[in-house]
Amino acid sequence: MTSSPMPAPTAGEPAVDAAHAPKDAGLQPGGLVSGAPVVAPGETMIAIDNISKWYGDFQVLTNCTTKVAKGEVVVVCGPSGSGKSTLIKCVNALEPFQKGQITVAGTKVMDKSTNLPKLRSRVGMVFQHFELFPHLSITDNLTIAQRKVLGRSAEDARKRGLDLLARVGLSAHATKFPGQLSGGQQQRVAIARALAMNPVVMLFDEPTSALDPEMVGEVLDVMVELAKEGMTMMVVTHEMGFARKVADRVIFMDRGEIVEDARKEDFFGSPRSERAQTFLSKILQH
Amino acid sequence: MLSNFDFSVIASSLPYLFGQGMVFTVTLTALAAVGGVIIGTLLAMARLSGIPGLWHLAKGYVELCRSLPLVLVIFWFYFLVPYIGAYVTGSTTPIQVGAFPSALITFMAFEAAYFSEIMRAGIQSIPKGQTAAAQAVGMNYWQTMGNVVLPQAFRNMLPLLLTQTIVLFQDTSLVYVLSLTDFMGAASKIAQRDGRLVEMYIFAAVVYFAICFSASFLVRRLQRRVAIIR
Repeated sequence: MTSSPMPAPTAGEPAVDAAHAPKDAGLQPGGLVSGAPVVAPGETMIAIDNISKWYGDFQVLTNCTTKVAKGEVVVVCGPSGSGKSTLIKCVNALEPFQKGQITVAGTKVMDKSTNLPKLRSRVGMVFQHFELFPHLSITDNLTIAQRKVLGRSAEDARKRGLDLLARVGLSAHATKFPGQLSGGQQQRVAIARALAMNPVVMLFDEPTSALDPEMVGEVLDVMVELAKEGMTMMVVTHEMGFARKVADRVIFMDRGEIVEDARKEDFFGSPRSERAQTFLSKILQH
Repeated sequence: MLSNFDFSVIASSLPYLFGQGMVFTVTLTALAAVGGVIIGTLLAMARLSGIPGLWHLAKGYVELCRSLPLVLVIFWFYFLVPYIGAYVTGSTTPIQVGAFPSALITFMAFEAAYFSEIMRAGIQSIPKGQTAAAQAVGMNYWQTMGNVVLPQAFRNMLPLLLTQTIVLFQDTSLVYVLSLTDFMGAASKIAQRDGRLVEMYIFAAVVYFAICFSASFLVRRLQRRVAIIR
């Protein structure tokens, strides 16, 4: 699919259109918890503050610190085993960490008082292996969390789900099951599923790594559109073309550390660390 | 030699054998299977919860049930529980539970141990990514289990659960120790009354075989049908 899967965004319109925004104030974009301040564009959406993580004795993350501003697209790259997937999974606490703190839209991730399911419901996540629910139809995949977690009516959830399905160009597949779709199609449904929750930020964990090469483009197209619409995105990927096109910043990780955290132009123009240079030369050869 | 046998006793007792005996057997099997799967699923969840006390309790219970003969548990439950009930409630007379409720509760609780092992394998067969995806869209533990993990685990394990139910169907014949009349008990009563032991027991064996064999066959066919396409 080469044509744009989504309608052109209107100026200043967030990825989530107002007509489908949830009604209760506690779920407004930015306000993860009732009364929390709404994050203004340019202000910090995700603050990763000096986090460290161990698997037993093995340290997988070492003093990682970075920030993602609202509307910013940050690409996280690095060799395999560098901890980039682990870092992004710490943002919605799918992976717990032992030291430091992450704050998403003003809500502390590792805090006893934090309602984690509620926080996660507004942090969209797309996985390497799609992880659609194979026993549910595409429509049910898109609506189940809206209904069960956000408490939307079946009708509202369905309308929003099918709307997003149309935006990723898969309306014809609403009644099929995930196993009947190609990898690229499944990943687009997975993106729609995350968007259905009106997320304030989207996390992508190697969204194209498990895809056949000819399907990478269709998924990246959707992500590019999303970025253009102003979605705050943190993307773990090896797709440097995507990084060049839409990233604001690139974070380079190696051995559990953030080695380089630079504006896109600086990273591709003149990476400061030797490790980043080596990595780039390897990955850009083809 | 077969001329000494009189198989007409079977035909004349069919209404009793099936109308009462088999109805009882099927009712007990169905109720015990449903209850056993529900309790078994909860046990499996407790065992996989990783919560120290709960985990040990569930494991201990399952191991205990699997180490005791069912007939002993049926006896024990029927004769001792009334006294335990009396002790707990402070009553001076044993609490009468009744043979059928007693048998039903015993079968549910006992079979739950076996069903829990099946459901445990079923839950573990669901990729971790599914749990992560459910949590990522904001589902809590019960929502994740109820909407994502258990429906898949149940479908994956349905053939095994049904196979275990076939075993349960045969095991229900043990209710004779409580003087309950299931299919086997009904056949036994007619056999003793009319002195037609061989005929009735052959017939009972044929019926059990026919039902269990065809049920197993259907389970195998179902197995291919319910597989989730991944």
